[in-house]
Amino acid sequence: MITDLRFRGASVPKRLFILLMIVVMCVYVLLILYPLFNMVISSFKSNREILTHPFALPDTVDFTNYRVVWVDKGFNIYFLNSLLVTAVSMGLVLLFGSMGAYGVSRYQYRASTIVYMLFLSGIMLPLKAAIIPLFLIIKRLGLIDSRLSVIFIFIAMGLPSTVFILSGFMKGIPMEIEYAARIDGCNDLVIFRRIMMPMTAPAIALVTIYNAVPIWNDFFFPLVFLQTNTRKTLPVGLSTFFGQHATNWSLLFTSLSIAILPMLLLYLFMSRYFIKGMTAGAVK
Amino acid sequence: MNVKRLRKASWIIFFVTPGLLIVGIFILLPLFMSLYNSLFSWNQLIPVQFIGLENFKRLFTGYPYNIRFFNALRNNLIWFLTTMVVQNSLGLLFGYLLSRNIPGYQAFKRIFFIPVLFSIIAVGFLWGLYLKPTGLVNNFLAVIGLDSWRHAWLGEERFATLSIILVNIWRWVGFPSLVFLAAIDNVPRECIEAAHLDGVGEWRMFWRIIFPLIIPSITIIVVLTVIGSLNVFEQIYTMTGLDGGPNYSTDTIGTLFYRTAFGSVDAGSPEIGIGSAIGVVIYLLTFLISLISILSGREKEVQL
Amino acid sequence: MKRYLMLVIVCLAAVSALSATGTTEAPSTSAPAKVELNFWTWRPEDVAFYNKQIGLFEAANPDIHVVQTALKNTEYNTILAAALAGGSGPDVFQGRAYGGLATFADSHYLEPLEQWLPELKNYSAAALLGATSPTDGKIYGSPAVSQTVFMFYNKAIYKKLGLSIPKSWNEMLANFEATKKAGYIPLANGAMEGWTLETMLGGMGPAFYGANTFYNAVVKGEKTFQDPAFIKAIEKMQSLGVYMPDMYMGVSYEDMRAYFFNEVAAHMIGGSYEAAYFKAQNPSLDFDVFAIPGEDPTKPAYVSVYADMNFAMNAATKNKDASVKFLRFLSSKEFGNAMISELKMISSVPGVNASSDPFIARVLELQKNSTPFIFLVGFRYQQPTGSSLWQAAAQGVMAGKLTPAEAAKQVQDGIASYYKPFQK
Repeated sequence: MITDLRFRGASVPKRLFILLMIVVMCVYVLLILYPLFNMVISSFKSNREILTHPFALPDTVDFTNYRVVWVDKGFNIYFLNSLLVTAVSMGLVLLFGSMGAYGVSRYQYRASTIVYMLFLSGIMLPLKAAIIPLFLIIKRLGLIDSRLSVIFIFIAMGLPSTVFILSGFMKGIPMEIEYAARIDGCNDLVIFRRIMMPMTAPAIALVTIYNAVPIWNDFFFPLVFLQTNTRKTLPVGLSTFFGQHATNWSLLFTSLSIAILPMLLLYLFMSRYFIKGMTAGAVK
Repeated sequence: MNVKRLRKASWIIFFVTPGLLIVGIFILLPLFMSLYNSLFSWNQLIPVQFIGLENFKRLFTGYPYNIRFFNALRNNLIWFLTTMVVQNSLGLLFGYLLSRNIPGYQAFKRIFFIPVLFSIIAVGFLWGLYLKPTGLVNNFLAVIGLDSWRHAWLGEERFATLSIILVNIWRWVGFPSLVFLAAIDNVPRECIEAAHLDGVGEWRMFWRIIFPLIIPSITIIVVLTVIGSLNVFEQIYTMTGLDGGPNYSTDTIGTLFYRTAFGSVDAGSPEIGIGSAIGVVIYLLTFLISLISILSGREKEVQL
Repeated sequence: MKRYLMLVIVCLAAVSALSATGTTEAPSTSAPAKVELNFWTWRPEDVAFYNKQIGLFEAANPDIHVVQTALKNTEYNTILAAALAGGSGPDVFQGRAYGGLATFADSHYLEPLEQWLPELKNYSAAALLGATSPTDGKIYGSPAVSQTVFMFYNKAIYKKLGLSIPKSWNEMLANFEATKKAGYIPLANGAMEGWTLETMLGGMGPAFYGANTFYNAVVKGEKTFQDPAFIKAIEKMQSLGVYMPDMYMGVSYEDMRAYFFNEVAAHMIGGSYEAAYFKAQNPSLDFDVFAIPGEDPTKPAYVSVYADMNFAMNAATKNKDASVKFLRFLSSKEFGNAMISELKMISSVPGVNASSDPFIARVLELQKNSTPFIFLVGFRYQQPTGSSLWQAAAQGVMAGKLTPAEAAKQVQDGIASYYKPFQK
């Protein structure tokens, strides 16, 4: 592509600049991969090994920790619950979030800013701090010990940023496209589904990861609201490794390594949506 | 005319209601209920009587809350400035380089977001490990000959907050990078190619053409940074604890709020009235500053 | 169109499947309905122990089923408060002591226990202090565990270097020097986590600020924390910095324990709860404890003591009788003995057989000269608590940012902002 940054044909200062930038980015990559590596190899160590030699390679690579965590500690159930809760929450966050973003960004009306700010208010204070009133509300709805309680909470937590980011992207889409579609006889719902959504695909991929990770990793709300063991999620199981005076680091790292896998998979899956030039051909 | 407006209104309601309903019930309602608590005096966990703005007066003028509050707010400001300058500039740079297909961009694009996938517990523990006096950072400094630069990064007052901020930047810089990447990619290719053919240099191309066209995404990042800096809580909780040690140097209004409202296990008991007052202040500050950022961003937007 | 419809249908199906859950319980297997008690603790590391004990209880009481939930210690208070406020709290649970108890007692969430367990009157005064509300003087918890703060030392290192338990402060410093020369870190303590500095004060403070005389005076307001004796205690704590690990401001709780049980450090000021942990991490560690002496070898050396945990009952529980039965079980000598032998904790139940464990026996011997753990016991009832003020000020002192006098003033002013005896 004509505007690519390439070594060939570039002036010397430009080549130096490109090289410097690549070095900087590589340093960052190293800083990312090492902790990941560290976390995984720690899952093969015993507690004492982790505290005494945290950076060394493990003495033996055996998977007993994994078996203990997955089977003995019941993480197989927790994993499924997490999967269920995260998938449903994310699905509805994307659905309601994109709808809300559309309703706020593609129509001009006086109340739009108010609605926008109302959505955004949702992330202006950590919800954790309003746990007592929230508990009362969940109790009133009869949802204590139901996975629906955390699902609703997670949807509510994910909507503000989703609406915010998606509306920003939707604003960037030229109005001509919409006019052309209307002339063709499409109604609002069709425009929303057939045109808006595909064009904001990179933003949707971003928002999915941005919200899925905190939902997947949240331990506080499931800890408060899910009491039956068969309904608990993975991070709740993780929190039981933190004793008051004694933390089980080896099992903790094992479960963290297990926990990051679905997120990695989701991310690799989503990253193919960062495709360039989605709007480029659309006007034509 | 009226039918058209009615139809438009119904569409708006259709799109907006489900989301607004859920946010309303599960966030806004408990939020305002707990902010309402700030107008009462409390006996432990039970409200006693309505005292209006007394709690706020005590917050801003009473010892030690006034000192803690302004100390915390100062730290929030440090969070905001450092994050804006370091994280978002780096993000802009990376986003731009990635959109220009710098060699290796496919790999970089995919790896940059990985830190976001870690759970905060993992990040806190791993980086706490590296920042220890005997940790990797100090070992590295010793190896490259900068022995005198070794410090207790999380233990010394002047370095603690900055260390936590840098860890947070490590975690999040991938996000603005990808947001800006997507935004710059959305700039129509014809614009860039035409400018290139006209002989416009790199620097001007970026500031005169690309930057104005990505203002919406810049607004998004700025507002999220504002909200994030005022709300920051988990990162500090995992790395230096709820009390904002050492000696309150990492304390922010988020940790101050939580520990006042709920007490901290090894040190405090809850003071719900003042805690909720702090919550009100956080909320109002965040609301106002976000609103200002959004409105000023709207003025500068360039529609194609 | 189809894909969207499918997404919506899938979501609805999932939602309906999930809404089928709720508060339905699995039907019990025995003919008369079993009473189910919810029991909450903040000790995930003790789950196995409690399960075993619950097994014993259920064998003796087949009509009661106890469900244990261990919550993360740092979130325990918040979650308990939310559950009790929402009317869904546990029936029996571990309760914090002193100020932590007052929080729930004064909010009327706890059941006064004297009417149900009259035997509580036989507990020691010190133990009961932690389970009594200062507002109405009623007992709200059955005291379970007390902790003591003293100096741990490595016996093997002492034997190797020919050292003996110091009888005076200077002798202790000489011991430190000897271990330092031999290549060990004399004192493992770090200053990164504020509460470990409170523990440090609990270990070496009483020798300088005047133990019980000072405590009683300061609680009444006759003395303040700016008393020269207290400032001297702070100075002495600061002077220990040279014996602490390099860059001790960054040494966390985990680090300092690792130094001690890995035999890299010879001493550590800590609480009695460390014993079980040290034994588990390094079974070959040969350690013991001593009370930290003052400058005068003829005066006794003190340890700080505090009540740590009690078992409390939810005032709104629907199963009062079953809860009382379970509480009585938890307050029995058998249970207390189990805590001593299996958890290595000092049970507060009167009449338990402490000699079964040599470490516990030693602790009880040292407790003959005990003084309350000053901030935790006396000054944790209101914000800003004495503990939080001390922790922050102590960090300032150890970092060299505050002088001992300034730290004392910070603590005094903070407490005086609400503590009536200081406000004369």
